[in-house]
Amino acid sequence: MALTPKGSTFLKPLSALAMLYVLWEATALAFPQWPSPRAVFGVLWRDFGDPGFRTALGGSAWRMTIGYVLVMIVGISSGVLLGRLPLIDQVLGSFAVAIHAIPGAAWVPLAIIWFGMTERAVIFTILLGAAGIVMVNTDTGMREVPPLIQRAARTMGARGWRYFWFVVVPSAIPKTVDGLRLAWAFGWRALMAGELLTSVNGLGQRLNQVAKAGRLDELLAIMLLIAVIGIAIDGLIFKRLEHAVRVRWGLAP
Amino acid sequence: MRVELQHVFKSYRHNGSRLPVLEDISLTVAEGEFVCLLGPSGCGKSTIIHLIAGLERPDTGQILVDGNSVTGPDPSRVVVFQDAALFPWLTVLGNVEFGLRMAGLPAAKRRARAMEYVKLVHLSKFAQAYPHQLSGGMKQRVAIARALALQPEILLLDEPFAALDAQTRAVLQNELLEIWELARPTILFVTHNVREATGLADRVYVISSRPGRIREARPIAVPRPRHAEDPTLLAHQHAILGLLGEEIEKVFREELGETVHFPETQHAVPPDQARGMHI
Repeated sequence: MALTPKGSTFLKPLSALAMLYVLWEATALAFPQWPSPRAVFGVLWRDFGDPGFRTALGGSAWRMTIGYVLVMIVGISSGVLLGRLPLIDQVLGSFAVAIHAIPGAAWVPLAIIWFGMTERAVIFTILLGAAGIVMVNTDTGMREVPPLIQRAARTMGARGWRYFWFVVVPSAIPKTVDGLRLAWAFGWRALMAGELLTSVNGLGQRLNQVAKAGRLDELLAIMLLIAVIGIAIDGLIFKRLEHAVRVRWGLAP
Repeated sequence: MRVELQHVFKSYRHNGSRLPVLEDISLTVAEGEFVCLLGPSGCGKSTIIHLIAGLERPDTGQILVDGNSVTGPDPSRVVVFQDAALFPWLTVLGNVEFGLRMAGLPAAKRRARAMEYVKLVHLSKFAQAYPHQLSGGMKQRVAIARALALQPEILLLDEPFAALDAQTRAVLQNELLEIWELARPTILFVTHNVREATGLADRVYVISSRPGRIREARPIAVPRPRHAEDPTLLAHQHAILGLLGEEIEKVFREELGETVHFPETQHAVPPDQARGMHI
């Protein structure tokens, strides 16, 4: 069967998943202590029926939403500020890069000292773990206005705040969107790290509990769910957004 | 507006030394005149456009517009670039509105005027399309409409049709001439196409390369509309090709690092070949 490009984008990952499943099933047969896929999916199905689990899932979603909105606000506005004011960029730029270099999980202890074992500590972890990439990308995007676009705009009388708002800011959008996509991945990791180390009711904490109780099947079930949510949000929202922007900006066919 | 260059020199830094690009360029374009700058690639003709636009400064010499020295870009001197240089995030209408928005025109007025110019270049159906959805010729039309919407007194065109196919180029040349006859801006049109230069201009400045010097200012006193087979035009084309033959050889030698000999017939090509001759 000849594969159309559209078909192959679905069939290729699908066949990869099928192979993974077979491999998993075989491993479970060879090592009886390793839970089979059916057992893991069974636990996952049971978990979804459990109100306590649903509360944990909802809590994680809520914290991620709040955290991500803050990441957008802080990341974009500080990026615009750095891009707009070269002096601030020179003074604070390397400081910003340093913050950006610290992984989300490394912020958790500080967050706990400041906010205790609370929801705020988790949100702080997401913010510090993910806002940096948005800021750096927004800043870079604003510095990389294509020279031809700059010249065209200047000959048509663009200067001052109008040049900034109607030329520099839109030029930076593809790079900023790249940053927002990465920030989702960084933020999702930071959320899990934050929940693992604090006593906030969420997927991360759940992971901790089942591991301590030695429930390998449920541990795998939750890890699988974390992966699926991460991939799904990226694929359904960020990948599409990024592609749409790249097409409009003439960066992708 | 009248454009005047007086003894302009321009050089660029290149591997630590200065590479002269323009040497003693003096030229005058009268108000409402259509002038072509013709020369081989690398002769600095685009630099002349950038200097008049105020995007670059000369090393020495004067650039005057109506007697006033050019100090920077101004919407009365708009450039149409070879690559159209449209804003990809704006629609066709948005692009044409851009300069008017920069001038602070209120939205309704701006939109109405932009729409006029979109119609003028026959793109009404595509007013809401984005640049990535347009062909090369359509993009160049948008670039021209965007420049004209500012009602500039000087229109600077930097090889605007060089990347287009022959048919599209011919159509756009005619449209440009119609528009010029309507609004009568002063036009400086850069090209490396002999046929294009002689077909469009009142006067052709032939520029030699490395460094760019003016070889000749040739008035083309043929009434419009001009016919491609017009013997006077063909005579002009032959004369220019003869003058530039040695120049082309020089460019090849520098770029390829070897001597390229053009057969004698190259300088006296039959008319049907000469018309499409790019230098």
